[in-house]
Amino acid sequence: MAQQTLLSPAELAYLHSSLSLSPPIRPDGRTSKQFRPLTAETGILPGTNGSARVCLADGTEAIVGVKAEIEKTADPLGDDGERYREGEWLEMTVEIPGLRDDDAGTVFLAELLREALLADGELAKKLWINRRFHWRLYLDILLISPPLSYPLPLLSLTTHLALLATRLPRLKSEGDEDPMFDDDWEAAPFLYPRQGGAAAAGSRPSITLLVVAVGDSILFDPSKEELAVADSALAVSLCEVRRERGQSSMEVDSGRELRLVAMRTIDPPSRLTPPGVPSTANLAASGTADVPLQQKQQQTSDEVPQEGVWKAPLGGTPFAVLDSIIQAVLEKGGVADEVLDGLEGVDLA
Amino acid sequence: MTSLKRPQGSDQLSQNISNKVYVRSTRSGKVQKIVREVYLRTDIPCSSNLCRACLSQAPRNAVNQALPFVLSARPAGTKSYPQGHYLVPDTNALLNAMDLFEQSSSFYDVIILQTVLEELKNRSLPLYNRLVGLTKSEDKRFYVFFNEFRLETYVNREANETVNDRNDRAVRQAVKWYGEHLALTKAARVPAVVMLSDDRENLRKAREQGLQASSLADYVSELEDGDRLLDMIAESQLQAQGGFKPSTQPLYPEYYTSSRMMTGVKAGLLHQGIFNVSPYNYLEGSIKVPAFPKPLLILGRENINRSIDGDVVVVELLPQDQWKSPSTKIIEEDTITKNENADTEERQDFISDKERKALQEEVKRTQKATGENQLQPTAKVVGVVKRNWRQYVGHIDPSTASKAPSQGRRLDSVFLIPMDKKIPKIRLRTRQVSELLGKRLLVTVDSWDRDSRHPVGHLVRSLGELETKAAATEALLLEWDVQYRPFPKTVLDCLPKEGHDWRVPESKEDPGWRDREDLRDLLICSIDPPGCQDIDDALHARLLPNGNYEVGVHIADVSHFVKPANAMDTEASIRGTTVYLVDKRIDMLPMLLGTDLCSLKPYVERFAFTVIWELDENADIVNVRFTKSVIKSREAFSYEQAQLRIDDASQQDDLTKGMRMLLMLSKKLKKKRMDAGALSLSSPEIKVHMESESSDPIDVKTKELLDTNSLVEEFMLFANVSVAAKIYEAFPQTAILRRHAAPPKTNFDELADQLRIKRGLELRTDSSKALADSLDKCVDPKEPFFNTLVRIMATRCMMSAEYFCSGTQAYPEFRHYGLASEIYTHFTSPIRRYADLLAHRQLAAAIGYEAVHPSVRSRGRLEAVCKNINVRHRNAQMAGRASIAYYVGQALKGKVAEEEAFVMKIFSNGFVVLVPRFGIEGLIRLRDLAEPEPESEYDAETYTLTTKGERSVRVELFQKVVVRVHDDKDERTGKRGVKMELVSA
Repeated sequence: MAQQTLLSPAELAYLHSSLSLSPPIRPDGRTSKQFRPLTAETGILPGTNGSARVCLADGTEAIVGVKAEIEKTADPLGDDGERYREGEWLEMTVEIPGLRDDDAGTVFLAELLREALLADGELAKKLWINRRFHWRLYLDILLISPPLSYPLPLLSLTTHLALLATRLPRLKSEGDEDPMFDDDWEAAPFLYPRQGGAAAAGSRPSITLLVVAVGDSILFDPSKEELAVADSALAVSLCEVRRERGQSSMEVDSGRELRLVAMRTIDPPSRLTPPGVPSTANLAASGTADVPLQQKQQQTSDEVPQEGVWKAPLGGTPFAVLDSIIQAVLEKGGVADEVLDGLEGVDLA
Repeated sequence: MTSLKRPQGSDQLSQNISNKVYVRSTRSGKVQKIVREVYLRTDIPCSSNLCRACLSQAPRNAVNQALPFVLSARPAGTKSYPQGHYLVPDTNALLNAMDLFEQSSSFYDVIILQTVLEELKNRSLPLYNRLVGLTKSEDKRFYVFFNEFRLETYVNREANETVNDRNDRAVRQAVKWYGEHLALTKAARVPAVVMLSDDRENLRKAREQGLQASSLADYVSELEDGDRLLDMIAESQLQAQGGFKPSTQPLYPEYYTSSRMMTGVKAGLLHQGIFNVSPYNYLEGSIKVPAFPKPLLILGRENINRSIDGDVVVVELLPQDQWKSPSTKIIEEDTITKNENADTEERQDFISDKERKALQEEVKRTQKATGENQLQPTAKVVGVVKRNWRQYVGHIDPSTASKAPSQGRRLDSVFLIPMDKKIPKIRLRTRQVSELLGKRLLVTVDSWDRDSRHPVGHLVRSLGELETKAAATEALLLEWDVQYRPFPKTVLDCLPKEGHDWRVPESKEDPGWRDREDLRDLLICSIDPPGCQDIDDALHARLLPNGNYEVGVHIADVSHFVKPANAMDTEASIRGTTVYLVDKRIDMLPMLLGTDLCSLKPYVERFAFTVIWELDENADIVNVRFTKSVIKSREAFSYEQAQLRIDDASQQDDLTKGMRMLLMLSKKLKKKRMDAGALSLSSPEIKVHMESESSDPIDVKTKELLDTNSLVEEFMLFANVSVAAKIYEAFPQTAILRRHAAPPKTNFDELADQLRIKRGLELRTDSSKALADSLDKCVDPKEPFFNTLVRIMATRCMMSAEYFCSGTQAYPEFRHYGLASEIYTHFTSPIRRYADLLAHRQLAAAIGYEAVHPSVRSRGRLEAVCKNINVRHRNAQMAGRASIAYYVGQALKGKVAEEEAFVMKIFSNGFVVLVPRFGIEGLIRLRDLAEPEPESEYDAETYTLTTKGERSVRVELFQKVVVRVHDDKDERTGKRGVKMELVSA
């Protein structure tokens, strides 16, 4: 998912150095842990079991629809392969304008989201009806604006909301009978119930946050430009587990426990940016040609990074950076809490 | 970000749009969320002639006319509603008492809400159809109000509200609106809008809202002939008001939930099929399921678990140690449960001692019985998928009516004994016992609860005195569901305008002549039973110059007059067939067509559909063609006349010669058919001679078969086979054909065993040819009738032939077993069978005479038609037989005849005999032999029943006995029937 940013090496170097400051100075003035403002609503597609729409302030917008279909469990008696197959109970398609649906980036994105959703193994349990039947979920994720920045957080948050808004018809039959359902949609329970004591406990659909490291700074929800200078980019998936209210009534917090479920590094587009040329070596600037061309090129590649000259980042993410990212994500009252609190406020219609 | 959702209530128009969201489970197991948008309007009229406002804004059609308003401006009043009233029934009211609404004495000005209509459609299609019929009748003034589309009366389903509650609320909302709306008219007498309901909760809520509401019973009791009408209210409602004494404990096991049944049936643990009751033992039923070659037995009241003959039920197999062989004992409900009181329900009475004793003996016998192979799997009913309750004809068991002179209008509980022995007694409550005693009654079954020993029903109407001919005829038509009302006007409008003056057009330029061959110069004649008016077929034959024969079969061209998919066609497809009773014919098509315009009467020109073969000396087909034609029959013979004419050597005209040719060829055709293995089966055919004036039967004769009978039959079969091949070739998917499946071998097991043991004869059933040959060998030199008897019994082991649509079966399954033909259809009687009419249309399309009409091409529709005509065909046969049985009884009235009879079936306490002369069967019970009932021993191995004591006889299967036949009126039931007594064995 390399979007070419039309920044010159000098601009890149400038951006990089201002982001590396402590505290970093972000082009849009946000603090390092601040999300871009977003607006969200659910239940926009009446024909689906659950749907959501999220708009980011930069104008990117995504819609997710969830449809559920009943399916016969292929081999109800086999207990071994169960886990493996349950992974297939969730089908996901991601559509990004201007990209083919078999584009490597799109497929990777879909897999990233799917993996995070299934990682805690809770979703499959919710889809289980009885030993012979289960629900199959179809998640259709649509980015409806041009991809201005890497859309992962947007799509993840929209998916999260859509799943929260998803309801499955209420089961009337018992045991291993062919399932029969209540015809009243109003009676259909939520896939992830929000209210009601024990029912509301348990895990929530995971969210995936995009975090970049620039120098020593850790930046959440990077914009397109910030991504273009990132030393490393990480997709951190975490899910919220609700404890039963009764247990934690003394505690002040909302009974939320965060769990890290997956983490993937993402190739930041910064790796493909052209390197800057120091003005000392710049013929056009100095006007003298005292060094032969070949020699000069060799020189630049060997050279230790010069302050103010852009050079595409190389190599992996240092462990210390990884560690501080995880800390920042899971921290109480940290970014994840802030995001989840924000999503909590969305009315589930 | 602006929301994408539709704003609620913000702008002017939004209130006209609403949403319905619900979950739909499809039959294939899919579960879908359905969202429907509802567009609400304000111009749906109230249709009351009082209202000006609605009239001015009612929607208008293309010629700018609004539909005429239905509800009267001055509706009738009652005691409670002296100002006049409109009725708004809810669904339960209609379900419980549709018969009331069809009364002509009351129930006018009724508003049928769309909510109610749709709910009724889901609950009971027959009732829905009746209601739709009512709404179409102009004089009843039923108005369908589309309340779900009118803004003011639309209600949204609330959270946690059941659909029923929501619908009830919609009904109340509509009643409320009507009341307020009519008040606006400022008429002098504003009629009350009365909600009729049987739901107490609904009534209570309505009264709370200040609406006029009444239960059916309360409303009806205020009407003039309230007592009579009260009997028509379904029992369930009265029960809710404390009708029958509820018994403390449920008597029957509970049914499984439908999901459990479905799962079980799919998994093969439970079995689904149609429940059939044994005609000899009301406590024994059988159900044929695909999983077993033999039908499953269901024994005893508890296992039968409230199923009634014809219901689609789900059964569970009982463990093998409970398997039984079918009963050899006659158990009749009226004798065993004679003294039951319709009012009391006691637990210990559930399986009465007598019933228990009857079953006990059964078990003893089974355990004595021999091989395992005799045993049949038994099962118990665990649920009912579909009730096939219809209206039943019967009479009140006088012994259950209270002896005391009825004081005033007391509500009595009585038992109704249905005419059909397979139907259990029905309990009903009535205020008019004394009037109903001794009448034929039509009742419907309302329910059969777990705690009620018998089903409960309510009276529909009385058909008249028992034993009157009118009541008897109507009863049997109703029993066999024969549509006997006169043709409605819409159907008669489809007839040609010229009426009886219709003639074949003179000018050949007329469109009627298009593609028709002029065959008026052929010497055609028809041969039918004497007095036949609807002549379907006519024949001709002549020698061709090349030495071959030309044979033509000409069939009435009914499809020329009955165009597809008009009212007449629809009516005919519903009737399916003409029903012949002894003294009456219930036509499929209006008389004008059946007996005049289509009938191939002699000396007049008629349109026909012709099959012409060129046959060689051996009656092999050289050539066959089909054409529409115009013919002129030279003569209409009866079988006898034709036979005389053929036999009379002095007749040497061309017509007679043609008939002789036909006879000669028909014999060859028959020979070929028999060689191929066609069966000649028997069912006793009886003819009742009537005295013309009074139409009282005076004599009964077995039908005589002449050569000319078989002449006509052979050529009809021949034509049917040729047409079948042609339409199948043209429409491989949708041809209407007739098949007769080979019977499963097990069907013949019993008969083969009986023949082997009693007569040392072998019945081979591996093919129809083998069966035909072995049946031919089943002769008793001393007893010519024995062969016929065996054939009659063999016929009862067969499957019944059926119509089908060629796409539904594989080609080998097309075979007609009885006729030994690869392919077969019905083509030759379009006046009296709908299948033939379809075959005509298909053949006409196949020869390029006319375009294929969509209804002849749509497989789904054709399958539905086939299903219907199969049922109708069977019912027509049954009704015909029942009519003959009735007249045989009438003919015997006051006479006593001693006749030869043959034993057909033996039970441990009686046997069944067939009297060849009358073609009737009779049951002789041991207790009829002597008083007290002689001791008996029944040997199932050798099918022998021996009695000792008061009277000692030995009765064997197939034995010839002499019986005394006389008619007898059962004092207790008031039923007249043929009674037989054994004279000598």
